[in-house]
Amino acid sequence: MEAPLKYIFDSIQYLKPEVAVSIFLAILVTVDLVLGKKNKQVLPYIALAGLVITGYFVTQQFGTSAFASVQHNIGNFGLIAVDSFGNYFKLIIILSSIFIVLFSISSIEIKQVFDRHGEYYSLIFGMMLGMMLMVSSADLILIYLSIELVSLSSYVLAGFTKQSLRNSEASLKYIIYGGTASGIMLFGISILYGIMGTTNLYAINTILQNGAFQPLALIISCILIFTGFGFKISAAPFHFWTPDVYEGAPIAITAYLSIASKAAGFALLIRFIKVTFIQTIGEDGYWQLLGVIDWKSFLIMISILTMTLGNFSALWQDNLKRMLAYSSIAHAGYMLLGLAVFSDQGVMAILIYFLIYLFMNLGAFFVVMLIANKIGSEEIDEYDGIAYKTPLLAVSLAVFLISLTGLPPTAGFIAKLYLFIALVDAKMIAVAIIALLNTVVSLYYYIRVLKHMFLTKPKVEGERITIGIADTVVLLAMLIPIFLFGLYFTPIVNFAKNSIALLGF
Amino acid sequence: MDLITLSVIILFIPLLGFVLTLFTGMNFKWAFLIENVLIVLGFILSVVLLYNKLSGYLDTDIVSEFNWINLGIIPFFGEIIIKLGIKLDNVAVIMNFTVFLISMVVHLFSIDYMKGDKRYSRYFAYLGLFTFSMTGIVVTNNVLMMYIFWELVGLSSYLLIGFWFEKKSASDAGKKAFIVNRIGDLGMFAGILILFVTYKTFSFQEIFNAVAAGQLPFNSEFWLTITGLLLFCGAIGKSAQFPLHVWLPDAMEGPTPVSALIHAATMVAAGVYFIVRIFPILSGDALLIIAIIGAISAFIPATIALTQNDIKRVLAYSTVSQLGYMIMALGIGAYVFAFFHLITHAFFKACLFLGSGSVIHSMHHEQDIQKMGGLRKKMPITYATFLLATLALSGIPLTSGFLSKDGILAGTLAYTSLTGNWFFTFIGFTVAMLTAFYMFRLVILTFHGEPKNKEKYDHAHESPFFMIMPLVLLSGLSIFIWYTPNPFNADSGWVLSKWVKAPTLSVPESARYPFMVEEQKQESIVKQEEEVTFSHEYTHAMHSAHVPTIFLSGFVAGLGILFAFLFYQWKKLDPNKLAAKVKPLYNLSYNKWYFDEFYNSVFVGGTLAFSNFLRWIDNTIIDGIVNGSATLTRGVSKVSGKFDNGVVDGLVNFTAYFSGFIGLLFRKFQTGKVQTYIVLVIFSLLILLFLFKSF
Repeated sequence: MEAPLKYIFDSIQYLKPEVAVSIFLAILVTVDLVLGKKNKQVLPYIALAGLVITGYFVTQQFGTSAFASVQHNIGNFGLIAVDSFGNYFKLIIILSSIFIVLFSISSIEIKQVFDRHGEYYSLIFGMMLGMMLMVSSADLILIYLSIELVSLSSYVLAGFTKQSLRNSEASLKYIIYGGTASGIMLFGISILYGIMGTTNLYAINTILQNGAFQPLALIISCILIFTGFGFKISAAPFHFWTPDVYEGAPIAITAYLSIASKAAGFALLIRFIKVTFIQTIGEDGYWQLLGVIDWKSFLIMISILTMTLGNFSALWQDNLKRMLAYSSIAHAGYMLLGLAVFSDQGVMAILIYFLIYLFMNLGAFFVVMLIANKIGSEEIDEYDGIAYKTPLLAVSLAVFLISLTGLPPTAGFIAKLYLFIALVDAKMIAVAIIALLNTVVSLYYYIRVLKHMFLTKPKVEGERITIGIADTVVLLAMLIPIFLFGLYFTPIVNFAKNSIALLGF
Repeated sequence: MDLITLSVIILFIPLLGFVLTLFTGMNFKWAFLIENVLIVLGFILSVVLLYNKLSGYLDTDIVSEFNWINLGIIPFFGEIIIKLGIKLDNVAVIMNFTVFLISMVVHLFSIDYMKGDKRYSRYFAYLGLFTFSMTGIVVTNNVLMMYIFWELVGLSSYLLIGFWFEKKSASDAGKKAFIVNRIGDLGMFAGILILFVTYKTFSFQEIFNAVAAGQLPFNSEFWLTITGLLLFCGAIGKSAQFPLHVWLPDAMEGPTPVSALIHAATMVAAGVYFIVRIFPILSGDALLIIAIIGAISAFIPATIALTQNDIKRVLAYSTVSQLGYMIMALGIGAYVFAFFHLITHAFFKACLFLGSGSVIHSMHHEQDIQKMGGLRKKMPITYATFLLATLALSGIPLTSGFLSKDGILAGTLAYTSLTGNWFFTFIGFTVAMLTAFYMFRLVILTFHGEPKNKEKYDHAHESPFFMIMPLVLLSGLSIFIWYTPNPFNADSGWVLSKWVKAPTLSVPESARYPFMVEEQKQESIVKQEEEVTFSHEYTHAMHSAHVPTIFLSGFVAGLGILFAFLFYQWKKLDPNKLAAKVKPLYNLSYNKWYFDEFYNSVFVGGTLAFSNFLRWIDNTIIDGIVNGSATLTRGVSKVSGKFDNGVVDGLVNFTAYFSGFIGLLFRKFQTGKVQTYIVLVIFSLLILLFLFKSF
């Protein structure tokens, strides 16, 4: 057999989830073309089936730790690293995709563009393929390609319902902004390649361990590359697109961007820093980084800036979607602290945080979407007294917001608890206090929504808002974990603990 | 299926009933049936559990636990792993059975009793929540879970006492019960914290082992005593012991079946049960104080019950008194009899409460016994069962109450012979007499004699089947035959000889009662086959105290009953004349020893007085000083006014404004123009490069 072909076949056993996603992408496109206009409601169910199958392949891969697409010329390192860490994030991406498909089924916005459903779901699958490559890519080229794949799909998705003006505006801003960011990142990548002569992260690590090089060029390249990551995880000062796009995009897509693409960005950032700059891992789980860049102060600075900016800006927002956008910026700030600790414990805290964040943030967006379906608005003023029209939705939103604040007995508390334990354990007390104060600020704008919902009298007496059984089930599927993991969290902690291993470390 | 799984299923059945009934009750008329069917199922499973445990694992404890929270190594403390678990020993399964039996009959009783209530299904949901919480207390193997379910019991008790919250007295009683219980729980919580900080575990068995290995809180026996007493505070609140007993009589505002379930048989027994659980770590000093508290709690309410006229209040005070008995018995070491009395008392006291419910139901919510009388003809079954339970409570031979009470009294006598202290014996027998007296006063005034309220009497009728059946069942359980073949000696019965045994003590020998320490030489000389409780000395004393107790207790109970008949049935003596003669004593009893008034004036009044005092200081002294130097003040006050407005208020507001200002500032960057954003990104990139280039 030809050598390149052999490499491909060798790799496929490790790429089953990605292959499954690609196949289902093709199926979605085909089915969409074959089916008439009337039968398009089967598409989301095909998508769900595809997600479940992909999820199955991911669970099959648990425990595997290997390179796919190995390049034998550079010391048997590969383009793709398949490991527990990547699998954990793949599961988060698949789980959130399942929820997003479920959201889309009941979203009025998406229903309005019924005849383009095929595109919609295939774009989601395209984005998912990109994200799954992102979380496991170990090569600068693949990093760039996968980020671009995700970005291009999300540009279109953000402006998918072309009818509304703010949709198109959001999409356009996103493209311009994203284009700039990836341009800067590509510039950084090319500088790094120029210094190192290789694009593989593991190979770069080997070179860094051994040799001397121009530090200034290295620093410049790293900061430029970080721009791309910062854009994806919406860390300040690269977050400017977030509020505008989140507000303008269809809610289901906003929710998707806030979880899945952020998760992928985080996974990539953690992998990039750990694989490239690590020297050794101590017995106690703390990483010794190579002393080329002061990543620690860099990340602490970025994260404090991010959370402060997110929280304080959220104080003034009157649109719930926009407020949740700022809140998601703030949460990215908290999670960055978990990385800034540079320990396995910190990474574990991030993993726990993401799983819980998935349920609470998606839940909040889902309730906002269901209410917007009925009243056609996301303005906080429109929520006055809404608890009397729809007690279930109001109480659920209250639970999600309280969980986002991080109060017990909700899972949000556990997420913050492990993060702060990691910080205190690393003796980063001052940083922990700043994060804690930020949480206090966030309490204000989350509780403000509760005040509008429960304590303010409605301006106009409206009808009761009712939701269907399917929506109730989806809602409970996010509500129950909030309490369950708030009270009994040992399983997710153990799951996260078993998933911190990166390939080779 | 193994017993642990079975017990977990039993635990969650009532919770399932609670959830289903609560969420379907609004729209579904038959929701209450879900709860009833589930509780009957739970009872059947409890019987299976009881049978399997006692037949298969008589002498082994079945324990199972899992890691609930694993925080790993915590800075400054060490490793924190919090486990939850279940421990099935004989005490737990017997108690579990008792809880489900009484809960079941109360459920069935309530079907008719609560008929027509507008929150009918919610009532049953609350009963389910209560049963869940109580079962949790019973089967847990650790003190943390005990505390969690303890509070859940408090919550469901609050909900049920204030079930008719439209009535102010009911909602007040609910609040009172809740707040008074909190006071006790505070102590309990402190005790739990001491245990956790010392032993890094919540598990009973691990704590016992650690104490037995010589590890003490703060390395002193004194602190072990303190810890025991702090934990006992929880029992004081929950079991309505002196001085926190005031909530229980008020709790009678709840529906009567609730009183039977919660305030007679199960929840108030939780305190006693808790002491039973932690008995091995209670030092001699702690036990003595516990015994004294128990004795006081047995005596005072017994004297109050003599003069009360509300049928449920008499029973409520009687409950406090009997709980005091159990606590006292634990304090003097009569461990098995305390637990035995807990069980027998649960049955006959529940029977009495349900019987009073039956009376109240047929008398159209009349509770004053002075307005009843002659009811035995109208309600023969209620009368017969009530009488049987009364005989048991009075400690008449052939009843279960005789067996357990006799054991406790023998325990007091044994204690006297071992220590020479007559106090507990005196209290024990006096209370036995008082109990017989007030219970027969209650029976005679309610069921005998002539009806005093003719109209209500004419409408009275025997209660329907679902109300009668529980009475018959419970009164049947008040007969000795279920517990022992010998009606005069419970020791030979299966409950005490096989099922319930005193635990091995963990307390260091130097901190125990002297008679609970086994002397080494004696053991080597006397090789007896028989079981020994604590020490040979103690076992002997119990044996020799047994026969005198039978005669003495029979005598005092008979005396009490005789006087009751003399006063109220045959009218040879006039209670009013006697009351007039000992007016101060009568008033003391009638007004419940003025506890409520005392607490009102001291604690409520004290708080108010203190705040008044502060206001007085404010008005007189501070204002006086301010006003006193008028001219100076004007200038000063102007300055201070400016300071107040400008600086103090300013600082407070500033924090809020500043936060808002920062937010506004950040918002300035968010122009909505993508060109600006890109410029900002490039600009901040340059700053970042500048900051980190020097490294």
